[in-house]
Amino acid sequence: MSNFEQKEPPRREHRLHACIASGGTLADMANRKMKCCIPDGERSFSQNSICLLLPALGMMNSIPNSVVLMHGAVGCGSSAHGGNAAVRAGNVHRWGAVKDGVWLSTALDERDVICGGEEKLEEAIREVDRRYSPTIIFVVAGCVPGIIGDDIDSVAQRLQSEVSAKLLPVHCEGFKTKIWATAYDAVYHALGRVMLQETSENISTEKPKKPTVNLMNVSSMGRIDEVELERLLIALGLNVNIFPVFAKPEKMYSMTHADLSISTCPTHDDYMLTYLKEKYNIPYIIKHMPIGISNTGEWLRGVAEFFGLTNEVEEFIKEEEVELKKALEEFKPLFSGKKVFVSAGEFRALSTAILLAELGFEVVAVRSYHHDEFADTEYEKLAKITAKDFPLNIANCQPFEEANLLRRVKPDIFLGHMNGNATAAKLGVATTVIYNVGLQFVGYQGAYQLARRLHRQLTNPNFNQNISKWVNLPYSQGWYDQDPFTYIKKGEAQGE
Amino acid sequence: MSNFIERPRFTCALGGAMATVTALPKGVPILHAPSGCAGNHAWTQAGGCGLQVGGYCGGLSIPGSNVQEKEVVFGGTERLEEQINNTLKVMDGDLYVVLTSCVTDIIGDDVASVVRPLRDKGIDIIHAETGGFKGNSYLGYELVLESLLGTYISKGKTKKGSVNVWGIAPYFDVFWRGNLEGIRNLLRKLDLEVNTFFTIDDSLAGIQQAGSAELNIVVSSVIGEKTAEISREIHGIPYLMTDLPIGPAASDEFLRTVGSALHLDQEFVEKVIVQENLRYYQLLEPMTDCFNDMDLQRYAAVIGDSNYAVSIARFLSEDLGWLPEVVAITDVLDEEKQSFIMARLTSLTSRVTPKIIFADNSTEIAGQVKEHWANQQGKGGKYNNPLTPAFVVGSSLDRPLATDLGAAHLSVSFPVANRAVIDRGYTGYHGGLRLIEDLISTMIINR
Repeated sequence: MSNFEQKEPPRREHRLHACIASGGTLADMANRKMKCCIPDGERSFSQNSICLLLPALGMMNSIPNSVVLMHGAVGCGSSAHGGNAAVRAGNVHRWGAVKDGVWLSTALDERDVICGGEEKLEEAIREVDRRYSPTIIFVVAGCVPGIIGDDIDSVAQRLQSEVSAKLLPVHCEGFKTKIWATAYDAVYHALGRVMLQETSENISTEKPKKPTVNLMNVSSMGRIDEVELERLLIALGLNVNIFPVFAKPEKMYSMTHADLSISTCPTHDDYMLTYLKEKYNIPYIIKHMPIGISNTGEWLRGVAEFFGLTNEVEEFIKEEEVELKKALEEFKPLFSGKKVFVSAGEFRALSTAILLAELGFEVVAVRSYHHDEFADTEYEKLAKITAKDFPLNIANCQPFEEANLLRRVKPDIFLGHMNGNATAAKLGVATTVIYNVGLQFVGYQGAYQLARRLHRQLTNPNFNQNISKWVNLPYSQGWYDQDPFTYIKKGEAQGE
Repeated sequence: MSNFIERPRFTCALGGAMATVTALPKGVPILHAPSGCAGNHAWTQAGGCGLQVGGYCGGLSIPGSNVQEKEVVFGGTERLEEQINNTLKVMDGDLYVVLTSCVTDIIGDDVASVVRPLRDKGIDIIHAETGGFKGNSYLGYELVLESLLGTYISKGKTKKGSVNVWGIAPYFDVFWRGNLEGIRNLLRKLDLEVNTFFTIDDSLAGIQQAGSAELNIVVSSVIGEKTAEISREIHGIPYLMTDLPIGPAASDEFLRTVGSALHLDQEFVEKVIVQENLRYYQLLEPMTDCFNDMDLQRYAAVIGDSNYAVSIARFLSEDLGWLPEVVAITDVLDEEKQSFIMARLTSLTSRVTPKIIFADNSTEIAGQVKEHWANQQGKGGKYNNPLTPAFVVGSSLDRPLATDLGAAHLSVSFPVANRAVIDRGYTGYHGGLRLIEDLISTMIINR
């Protein structure tokens, strides 16, 4: 039975044996095929991080004419105050108009916890449908309904015939998975089950004439990155549809008409692409992120090969690379031999580390938020280009391990995810953000723009250096004297 | 009451508690929670708190037990115990505060039994039950203070002239640092010793003296009341509640109220008030030309929590001479508090009585404000008297409303997404001047 026939997607711990706790070196990881860490591994000391609700909100809040109805305590969803900047900018960049994301909370209280909140949710759905007239209401479960037993699926099913909006239940109970990438599955699951079904309105939608690809973006790329990938794909003569962020609900069905689906990150898209293949027979490519010079070329080659454009693509890549490499020359003297530490989602960290090696940096440590089998080849690529072993840490943030590693490897510059640069900054290390949807990262333009930012940060790291002289991280001296991976629990058997 | 809140202008009790603990000197929160609560809070802060995230041990540095289904089924105290013991080794804190979440409160983990033996051993560790379903971030602030009062601060011999200040929740009053400092500066003019708990000049040693204060001052008609009640019960300290004093009129009243509660020499208090007013108006004086020549008086809509909405409306009306037309109060209040606030706003000493809305839903607030503005548009034709020029003082959620009214806009109340805040504050005489600078600067930005 397809996963999409279940009420909710499986946890990635089970589906992909993904893990979040490992400490070792690159050599331990490359060529080891997941034998490096224990699925579902744990720490005996941990720091809190994010849960799947946060990235899920990033996707849902972007969908035009939708509202997110959060079923949970009043704080679940308040991360959307932070995500809203991207929603506003995303709307401006696509349609020239500022628009805030709309999210609502059933604000479950003590009474609801005792008596159940389904009735409140039902009333809320009716009221939201009436007051906001959205096309989609995402009915999202946080932790509380998951424990008290409120069934968002049954509520949605019961009310669907009563309301005009499409009701999409989305499971984001944070205590159910440690792999927050399950968020992408959760939202894709809801979209796939409801928005891709044939209806009387969409059945006549014509198949596009030009070869068309689905380009997947789960909100890790801003419009500026989409533009670059569109440029590359259009150069191959392809029509590009971008899903699911900022995709109009009425157009989502056209995803089922494409000739090919292309992932921009295997951590994001495998769940949906498998479904599109199984149900609608749309082939897909899921390899790596188009970040970095060689990886962008590889990504394009994969697509071109599918459409029989092998010769055309080689010529195109050659031209692009010549132009880019010439432009990068001015930055390289400053980069040469500088030590760099990279930390982010697995594919972003790896492909960016490869790019940094291409730019002449010496990669001295890498941290990935989680690990699953999709990334095995990327570790091998990285090992090949860096030709040197260095610390590798799988961690769902856990800045205490990062602080310890930073003091050991002493990088010249650190690249961290949004919300992940403060540790390095307070240690006085120059930083460049590796994830920020307002900035450009992917394709050839992304490589150039990242280089520009790195050059700028390295030219004057005074902000961080000054902070570090007067501000302390919250760790004991004793911690710095210990092995950075002290608190990672070792399982009985390594690997599966 | 509606069955939902649109884009709540606060987060949950746990979020408020995290913010409060990270604002204590070298305070380290330890979450007994699933893995996402600190991240949710960090993103909330990044988007709502004027770019202030964390503190000494905030954001994703906050230690936590990261409970999962296993703990939900079998209980999480064992995991918490392991987490706390290792936290004491890894994290360098002066006070550790265990905070519970929705999940661990519902499954009923007995956190007190884990924390008590550690405290008995002399470790500075306390806990608060802060499950998100218990209430909003203001409650979280109070729950942490209650825990401090109950287990960390003991009753001492009353120290004359010493006061505690409550009612400003760190981070969820985005200007908390500056506001606390502003209040402290005011009170120091009366030669008082002021315990503000959360500014960088406060210390844990000072906070532990809070049980010796002569008076607790709550600068809110809502937030901090419970805390003050508890302090009265266990420390026998009386309290008074005032508006958040923004600008000269409110500061005059504040000084008089405090002076009378502490039986200070009236003449002395009046002398301070005269000095401060002189100073305020001498500083304002050079703006007199432009304020008048550029016609900088505005009709205003004020939207915010009860602390800000009331005090800013009062400042605009009584000090700046603007015309607050609508005041929307966005926190959840019972009827008694609502009528108290109504009374405050209908007794402004200027002749302006604003329309008052109690609502937590931005779309509804915008609708009602626009309706009020539309009703004042007149019948059309050549001579009209609409409510222009206008200004919206609110949060960043009220920008679409300002656009629709053709009004200028300043974010003051949470969420403040579009300003960078370090230690700016609006309290006291000095704070009034800051607010004038900010209001007028947004109006003349294209000049």
